[in-house]
Amino acid sequence: MQIDWLTVAAQIVNFLVLVWLLQRFLYGPITRAMARRETRIEDRLADARAMQDEARDEAEALRAERRELDDRREQILADARQRAAGLRQDLEDEIRAEVRDQRADWQRQIADEHDDFLAELRRRAAAQVVEVIRSILADYADADLAGQVAAQFAARLDGLDAERRDALAHAAKRTGAQAVVESGATLPAAARSRITRAVHETVAADLDVVYETDPDLLLGVRLTIGEQVAEWSARGYLDRLEKEIADILENRAAAATEAA
Amino acid sequence: MQISPDQWILYEWRGLALNATVVFTWGVMALLVLISWAITARLSEGTRISRWQVMLEVVVETIRDQIADVGADRPARYLPFIGTLFLFIAASNLLAVVPGFRPPTGSLSTTVALAACVLVAVPLFAITERGLRGYLGSYVRPTVLMLPFNVIGEVSRTIALAIRLYGNVMSGTVIAGILISVAPFFFPVLMQLLGLLTGLIQAYIFAVLAMVYIASAARTRPAEAAGTPDDTETGD
Repeated sequence: MQIDWLTVAAQIVNFLVLVWLLQRFLYGPITRAMARRETRIEDRLADARAMQDEARDEAEALRAERRELDDRREQILADARQRAAGLRQDLEDEIRAEVRDQRADWQRQIADEHDDFLAELRRRAAAQVVEVIRSILADYADADLAGQVAAQFAARLDGLDAERRDALAHAAKRTGAQAVVESGATLPAAARSRITRAVHETVAADLDVVYETDPDLLLGVRLTIGEQVAEWSARGYLDRLEKEIADILENRAAAATEAA
Repeated sequence: MQISPDQWILYEWRGLALNATVVFTWGVMALLVLISWAITARLSEGTRISRWQVMLEVVVETIRDQIADVGADRPARYLPFIGTLFLFIAASNLLAVVPGFRPPTGSLSTTVALAACVLVAVPLFAITERGLRGYLGSYVRPTVLMLPFNVIGEVSRTIALAIRLYGNVMSGTVIAGILISVAPFFFPVLMQLLGLLTGLIQAYIFAVLAMVYIASAARTRPAEAAGTPDDTETGD
């Protein structure tokens, strides 16, 4: 075993130099690089964690927003449904009112047509009845209808009560005018003279009597002195006849509506 | 046959002999420094790392872990000293397979020099860690009577450190040389392979023992306050 102390000293120096060199070129750079890399990785991990937190917050916010949107949509839908229901109700009410109005119009129209029909019927029936009566009177009673009417009017004038007769006379005196006799058809001369005589006897002897024609009277005579009016006509009969026919028609109409 | 490379004089100048031990030591140093410099000159701090850098990082990290396993509080503090011990011894021993190379660790002068470094480093680290009084106090515990034994133990383990490494490496080289002269083809290869293994193991043992000595002297432990002996018994 030889120990060369000079070599020992040289080796100690060599070793210390090697320590310094390796510290300079190996341990220092490597540990620094590793530490820096660790720091960088830590930083990136921290960044990633921060981003993850941010993303989670964002997702939470988006979820809340979506919930809110859903709620709002539900509310809007509910409002729209309610409004649609109200609108439908309004439209139904409107249509019902319109239908009601139309029905009323229709019923009124029907009533009008009914009335028109009745009036027409009355007119025609009256005309027919007058014609028939006239024919019967002319053919079988050996007296014309006008004469009968004039006789009837004269009799009625005679049969007036005192109060009425006074009112007529008073009217003739006050106006000092004339008496107007209207009839449905032109009266023959005999009938006229008979009526004139009856007026003279009943109201005033010096009263002028004027004859006029009013087709609405049909069969009858109307005496007008001033405001006083005395009338006899077949209107009462015709009215009764009209009522009978109207009743029959209404019964028929009711039966038809029930059947419909 | 020259047992020690100290006797292999390569150059002599005015009585100063430049022997093979020193020259091969320079060679190992140059190799280690060049490799380190070549790799650390292009260090990457990103996520893409060259495989050479990975190798260096693994080596450094492993040494640091070993230091930490022994029980040192701050491994980075001891890394240059312990790491250089390991790398130098390991490189010297592994290069023994190169024809013509004589490992400097096969010279008792080298191992004595390394052991002397450890002998000085232990009190240095201990004093900077615990203070002069704390370090010297450890020699007189549990009683003053233990002082001579502690001093003898300190010196003897240093000598053991030197002799162990020298004996293992020198014997490996000598056995290889003898076997080459006896059975030139097959056995020397096996012995060289075995020599690689024992060379690495010796480097590990030397470095770890040095660290154990330093750590046991430098650590401030609760046991110290309790007054129990804290020397670590080591063997061959």
